[in-house]
Amino acid sequence: MDATNPLFRMEGISKRYGGVRALERAELTVHAGRVHAILGENGAGKSTLIKIMAGVVAPDEGRMLLDGREVTFPDPAAANAAGIVCVFQELSLIPELSVADNIIVSHPPTRLGMIDRRAQRGLAEEALARAGGGDIHPSTLIKDLSLSRRQIVEIAKALARKPRVLILDEATSALSASDVESVFGVIRRLRDDGVAHLYISHRMHEIAELADTCTVFRNGRNVATYEARTKTDEQVVELMIGREYHNVFPPKPPRPEGKKPMLEVKNLTWSPRLNGVSLDVSAGEIVGLGGLDGQGQRELLLALFGVLRGASGDILVDGQPVSINSPREAKADRIGMALIPEDRKTEGLMLPMAVRDNLSFAAMSLFSRGGIIDRSAERRAIDEVIKLLAIKTDGIAVPAGSLSGGNQQKVVIAKWLMRKPRIILLNDPTRGIDVGTKQELYQLLRKLADAGAAIILYSTDYDELIGCCDKVLVMYDGAVKRMLAGTEITEKALIASALNIDADLKGAGAMRPAAQ
Amino acid sequence: MTDQTTDVPVRLSFRQRLNVPVVTAFGCIVLLLVVGSIYSPNFLSPEYLLQQLKVGAFLGIIATGMMVVILLGQIDLSVPWTVTLGAMMASAATAYGPMGEVAAIPFGILCGLLIGLLNGVAVAYLRIPSMIITLAVNAVAQGLMVAYSGGFSPQDSASPAMKFIGAQSTLGVPHAVVVWIIVGGLAVFLLTRTTFGRAIYGIGNKESAAYLSGVPTQRVVVAAFALCGALAAFGGVLLAGYAGKAAQSMGDAYLLPAIAAVVLGGTSILGGRGSYLGTIAGVILITLLQSILSVMQIAEFGRQIIYGVIIVAMLLLYGRDQKLR
Repeated sequence: MDATNPLFRMEGISKRYGGVRALERAELTVHAGRVHAILGENGAGKSTLIKIMAGVVAPDEGRMLLDGREVTFPDPAAANAAGIVCVFQELSLIPELSVADNIIVSHPPTRLGMIDRRAQRGLAEEALARAGGGDIHPSTLIKDLSLSRRQIVEIAKALARKPRVLILDEATSALSASDVESVFGVIRRLRDDGVAHLYISHRMHEIAELADTCTVFRNGRNVATYEARTKTDEQVVELMIGREYHNVFPPKPPRPEGKKPMLEVKNLTWSPRLNGVSLDVSAGEIVGLGGLDGQGQRELLLALFGVLRGASGDILVDGQPVSINSPREAKADRIGMALIPEDRKTEGLMLPMAVRDNLSFAAMSLFSRGGIIDRSAERRAIDEVIKLLAIKTDGIAVPAGSLSGGNQQKVVIAKWLMRKPRIILLNDPTRGIDVGTKQELYQLLRKLADAGAAIILYSTDYDELIGCCDKVLVMYDGAVKRMLAGTEITEKALIASALNIDADLKGAGAMRPAAQ
Repeated sequence: MTDQTTDVPVRLSFRQRLNVPVVTAFGCIVLLLVVGSIYSPNFLSPEYLLQQLKVGAFLGIIATGMMVVILLGQIDLSVPWTVTLGAMMASAATAYGPMGEVAAIPFGILCGLLIGLLNGVAVAYLRIPSMIITLAVNAVAQGLMVAYSGGFSPQDSASPAMKFIGAQSTLGVPHAVVVWIIVGGLAVFLLTRTTFGRAIYGIGNKESAAYLSGVPTQRVVVAAFALCGALAAFGGVLLAGYAGKAAQSMGDAYLLPAIAAVVLGGTSILGGRGSYLGTIAGVILITLLQSILSVMQIAEFGRQIIYGVIIVAMLLLYGRDQKLR
């Protein structure tokens, strides 16, 4: 450890949201000129910790020290003023404004009360150059940039605020491989200039490559801090989940050979996001979609579900060509498809509506005649599915929004299971839900597959793909680049093919064998 | 952090179960009656109350359609001239002999339905914001009616059937009130017991979620607007029966009251939330308010100001209850 005094310290930080404990007496010490990686599962408390640092939320208790002096941040502007700047994983840029406007958005240089455009442009160019985006023109509109370039602008925006502590929260997840490299270069340069970095990423190899110090969070507490590269990946993962890893996932049954596919997709195209995707899924099979975020996985699921206008290609169900032009056609008995959408709050649920109304919403035709709902049949079906998924709810008349995230997700899944779908598409279903519920979902998926469903699971969590899937299709740039099956599904293989390279990656070594 | 932490706090308050807006609206009705009875004891007489219900019935029927559209998160500003159009077309049909008299009411409603269909198709398929398209359609309907009538009140009078349901009573019970009760009963059934009703609430809350659940959202939107147009025209038909004939701009007095009644009854102007009971309360509240203000002989401008202020004040009261989103 550094002998120098810490630049920033958090002591005994606790935060609760409603009844849920997000942080419990967490500690963190950040030194200038070091890259400090924060590891932990979703829901371990990382994001809350960072939001507290950045002044987005206030801690319930605990204190923060900057240069040894206690500080409080009532709002993000205060944290920025103190030199703590965050690059959030959600892009915060305004699409209709230019790059320069966005970079300087909070404190534009002024002359006589007007924005000094020339000075603004100079500042923006300088910040872009430091962020490794010197080739981006400051007057380009954000909406004309690719996702990866936007993220570079996001980093430039943070740099323009002259940070002393720079927080990168999944800042590389949207980046292309070459931009990742240039961002790493930027981070190393800033580190040498004495800027402290907090680096949050799920990509183990990035952490191994970049970090100086690592802190692992679990259940709202920091459980270990160690020098980077002093622990094996297995040790790190066990720290993160607090138990043996492979127990999380149910065992996979042996793969049956020569089964006819239930769903076949040929050359599905929705340019420019999908470029000729072909795949097939048999009954009883869980097929994973891997790859970096934003390589067309979401679009693939939406296109299958009939949401995307103008998608071309052939879809065959039970060997019969079908055309699916809307979710209504997709869910019809003939096809029997269900989509668990990405964002349960805007796409999966109607939060203010009762749990009952949400559960029965997609399956209304099953217990209504001539448009009139048979309430007792509805009630029976709902009771059944609530029991099946063990949804914890205070009655079925409460709004869905009052449930915990995990239970909300269960409601989204349950509302589709009521239809007994044969083909189930899941778009990152475990994002932001607790470990216990995740485990239940993994078991549920396997049970559904065993009962004869064909399942396509897109996940941003490699562990899930490894633990759950019978085969994984790795997507890159709107096409399936590689298919991994059985024991081929390893983190190393997933990452290598996600980046569309075959070479071995430093630090990405066989992290763990595929669960058998 | 996990979503479960950033979620809406676990809070199904007592206030929500009680349905504050509905209770508030009924409370205000009682308050108005008490205030009115201090002014004049006639306010509590059955004759006065029945008369208010009769006047309220027209607004109630028009507000029913408006409520369905507002539940979707949309608005229908074409109501004023749809009301007038329904009244004029029904009266016009009456002029065509006995067959016309029989067809008068259905024909008036049909014309309103077509206006509603136009609104609905424009909103659902052409994706024109309802505030714009319905305003435009209102102007077009106005133009058509002025062209038809030459700018004067038409000479045709209401058919006997229209007068029967609009103006007459049996055993002291105005037929218009009976019609409102039937329309209201059907609306309650539609909203609470049918897939169409569920779809309306679903779309009002989150259209994307409703669409991804496989609900034919566009068709539901069209149907809702058509229903609103038909009910507005039906209200106009009854009004023509009440007054004996149609008149220019007879619907203009119904736009703000209809929206206000729905919203004062606790239906969220953003859609997705509200009960018909609240709309009934809102209609009665608005009707009483108008009546009391006019009985107190407050000048027209004063009435308008008080009326507007009360609506804003009540909306502010409800605003506090809308955290769950």
